[in-house]
Amino acid sequence: MSNLKKTSLHQKHLELKAKMVDFGGWEMPIQYKNLKEEVVAVRENAGVFDVSHMGEFYITGKDALNFINYAVTNDIKAANNGKAVYSPLCDSNGKIIDDLIVYKISEQEIFVCVNAANIEKDFQALESIKAKFDCELKNLSSDYSLLALQGPKSFELLKSIIDEVQDIEYYSIQLLETIKDQKSFIARTGYTGEDGFEIFGSHEFIANLWGKLIAAGVEPCGLGSRDVLRLEVCFPLYGNELNQDITPLDAGLKWTVKMNKEDFVGKSALESYAAKYQLVKLSLDKGIPRAGYEVENEKGESIGIITSGTQSVVLKKGIALARVDKNLYQDSEKLNINIRGKLYPAEINKKPFVTGGHK
Amino acid sequence: MSKVMDGYLYTEEHEWLLVEGNSATIGITDFAQSSLGDIVFVELPEEGEELEAGNSFGVVESIKSVSDLYTPISGKVLEKNSTVEETPENLNEDPYGGWLVKIELADKDQLNSLMDAQAYTEFCESL
Repeated sequence: MSNLKKTSLHQKHLELKAKMVDFGGWEMPIQYKNLKEEVVAVRENAGVFDVSHMGEFYITGKDALNFINYAVTNDIKAANNGKAVYSPLCDSNGKIIDDLIVYKISEQEIFVCVNAANIEKDFQALESIKAKFDCELKNLSSDYSLLALQGPKSFELLKSIIDEVQDIEYYSIQLLETIKDQKSFIARTGYTGEDGFEIFGSHEFIANLWGKLIAAGVEPCGLGSRDVLRLEVCFPLYGNELNQDITPLDAGLKWTVKMNKEDFVGKSALESYAAKYQLVKLSLDKGIPRAGYEVENEKGESIGIITSGTQSVVLKKGIALARVDKNLYQDSEKLNINIRGKLYPAEINKKPFVTGGHK
Repeated sequence: MSKVMDGYLYTEEHEWLLVEGNSATIGITDFAQSSLGDIVFVELPEEGEELEAGNSFGVVESIKSVSDLYTPISGKVLEKNSTVEETPENLNEDPYGGWLVKIELADKDQLNSLMDAQAYTEFCESL
């Protein structure tokens, strides 16, 4: 794995005896001691994830807000300064290039956090539409490390280490004034459904913070538990639920496409688009659904595929998200999942499998 | 260091076999359960099914992975361990107690290619 990229915490993961894997060109911890314990720690206590592989863009200048609001489908202008906004980034056909979070520090200063595997693609997409806006776009991905501290004890733990941390609202941000080496901030965001923070800062600051969190007894958590946690609360993953063959309207993300705002990339395509697919939440009493398994209706016709599946740690049963043909799905009475040639009846869930405790 | 039982035979896919007379019991080794992590699902063949050496006869799933079970020997399934299908987590606790299937040996020569405890210990250390 020597040619893989490493985060600034790589050595610390090895010291903690993490199982390391190739994750989109990065050597990342998939789990430390025990995946189940990591999930439980986040649901009941606190866990910390190294997600430094993710990308950070920094947009500054007079038109920073106009630019980002034109680039993404959600409405960043409608958000107050100091807020974080989840949004798809679409191409001119309305197809999803990536899903990302926009951190609106002010109208002239905006951070964007993007998926690691999409950093270059996203940056090119943003560069290609920037000409008419008076602002600067920088890729700061190699300057930033990123931790996600997640779980009900996150606030008190973070506060005990960084005194200036305030009890900010969900999807809000706070600049850290006492961290001087580089612009650093916290956001009350995450990918687990629990209360928690994502902390952006220099490699040195983040390595230091990681050490203090581990010393305080916070469970180090890998990408394996992160995937179970996000799937339990039905958060989509780019490459599984989302990709550039579909639009946000095909993936349960209609709420992130603001047709009433001014023009944005993909708007005209999405205006006339009727969704072909629907994302459904399936659970099984027996058997474990996995990505790629076929979903069939009662007539035995394939109506779609599982995009993500696992055994839920909380529910102790198989859970999955599936992309199904919208029309065939609406005509279906019962769904089965084809697992190695055997059909397992699936229960259709209207709500996420697990309700996280985020504020 | 994972546990290896004397008197058992082993495959490179980390299954163990205990031969008694004309039948063999198959399970997964301590090394296998440890690399899989929390085992949450086991699927086994039905009694009476004919298995063929080298083919998959079932699966073991952890939270994040699916692993096929391979039989190194041919023969009819005499018995499957239904308890392990109901409580798969027992495989993590006691991989040598939580056997999977008993097979009637069709060809005893197929046992010759398997490793003994010492060879398997060395094999695991080489990984």
